[in-house]
Amino acid sequence: MTENKPVAQPLGDSAISITLGSERSPQLLHHVHAVARSLGSARIPHVHDVVPGYVGLTVFYDPLGTTYREMAPQLVQRCERVGHERATRRERRDHVIPVRYDGIDLESVASATGLSTDQVVARHAARTYSVDLLGFVPGFAYLSELEPALQIPRRPQPRPRVAAGSVAIAAAQTGVYPLDTPGGWHIIGSTTTVMFDPARDPPALLAPGDSVRFERVS
Amino acid sequence: MIMISKAPPYLTVQDAGRKRSRAAGVPQGGAMDSFALAVANALVANAPDSAGLEWALGGGSIRFDRECVFATSGATAAVTLSTRDVAPCTTTYARAGDVLTVEAIISGRFLYIACSGGLDVPLLLGSRSTYLPGHFGGYQGRMLRSGDCIPLGPETAPHPKTGFHCAADLMPRYDTAIVHITRGTHGSMFDESAWARLTESEYRVSTASDRTGYKLEGPPVGTSLGTLPSEPGCPGVIQVPQDGSPIALMADAPTVGGYPKIAVASEADLPIVAQRRPGDTLRFELITIEQSQRALRRRAADLHTIAQLALRAVPP
Repeated sequence: MTENKPVAQPLGDSAISITLGSERSPQLLHHVHAVARSLGSARIPHVHDVVPGYVGLTVFYDPLGTTYREMAPQLVQRCERVGHERATRRERRDHVIPVRYDGIDLESVASATGLSTDQVVARHAARTYSVDLLGFVPGFAYLSELEPALQIPRRPQPRPRVAAGSVAIAAAQTGVYPLDTPGGWHIIGSTTTVMFDPARDPPALLAPGDSVRFERVS
Repeated sequence: MIMISKAPPYLTVQDAGRKRSRAAGVPQGGAMDSFALAVANALVANAPDSAGLEWALGGGSIRFDRECVFATSGATAAVTLSTRDVAPCTTTYARAGDVLTVEAIISGRFLYIACSGGLDVPLLLGSRSTYLPGHFGGYQGRMLRSGDCIPLGPETAPHPKTGFHCAADLMPRYDTAIVHITRGTHGSMFDESAWARLTESEYRVSTASDRTGYKLEGPPVGTSLGTLPSEPGCPGVIQVPQDGSPIALMADAPTVGGYPKIAVASEADLPIVAQRRPGDTLRFELITIEQSQRALRRRAADLHTIAQLALRAVPP
């Protein structure tokens, strides 16, 4: 396990970053989510948001009600305790996302990986991915882990606009752009599945720990 | 109701932002200069998180279809109400039918207009603010256009006395270029010379600056630190991408990011950053988190003072 003793640092006046480990790993990520769920459900006074990252989490609080000095040791203590109690389980959901593999970068991904476009599609659709975290823009889920043969670095220059619903890959990850946004990943397909709807509860389709499979449609 | 008679190139509905949906990837959003909006709200006896107009890039006009009081704050602008000049940070009475015209923004970047009752657009994820990239929030998830009509909420307090003016010493020092910062979560990845460059150089706000972030031009802080595992960020973070030129994250910044976070702008000084236009300069001064939080508490106390004085200005 790559878990270390939790270390708190201020991230500006209203946030405290708590590092729980040094090296990114599925085990550490699992621990981060368990701690985030525990802190999130603890109703700690002045805390209004708990946001997981890969090696730690960030707690947003009201600095007019308390101070960093008061808050940080309290949070570190709570994080330490989660390691020793049974992590609160959350229901893991399995999703199937239909994809038209018609992406603008499908050909270039094929040539960069030395595979045919059909092989790229077959391999992308063969795996079950897990949701590492949500972030970047509303509802964007970082999904791991792409098969090694498909792993290529992100595009050197991000595109100013990637259309909502674009299914893309970069390095060891894949994901679906929930809205029109600049983006640097390789677009291999598109889906009509709505990844984020602010009027829905919860608004994001995917949650950390969920599993996702892509299904080829024509 | 207010009607947008002539929309400026940028006009949105904003409030204090979304503070509980970051884990779903939803940026904080809200007013770029949230203190200025809060002051405008205080001057018309609105709750501090009421929605107002965020106005930039040029002139335009709105018409009040209901009697109300309003106040402007933030950027310095030439504003008239049916031909009379309107003083900034001043409770001003408008009759139904009056037209408020912003002739031009003179200095600063974002002008705020609060009306008694607040702008009554639907609450979405706990906020009325417009998030343009996601096409949601505010008025139909978009910028306001000429002809749009926005309802005003019910007034919950009597109108403060017209002409009440917020003293300048209760406002941020928009005329200074000094922005206080605290060490960021990756502050120790940068050596002494990188810190010396960050705190001793002048940085210029680039034209590549919007509600997401302000790119800063000046001596590169450090290079080839690459990217790190994605970690949560927030408005005010000063991150250093590969080219070494710092970027100050602003209201609509992504909730997570992989660039090293060298520092974070003190929240009390974030209005000064927000109001900088492309070409304007900034200097950073390192302070401790305790100093920064004290400054923020002083700012909150000033806002409280403004709200109390405005309420006391309610005629008997």
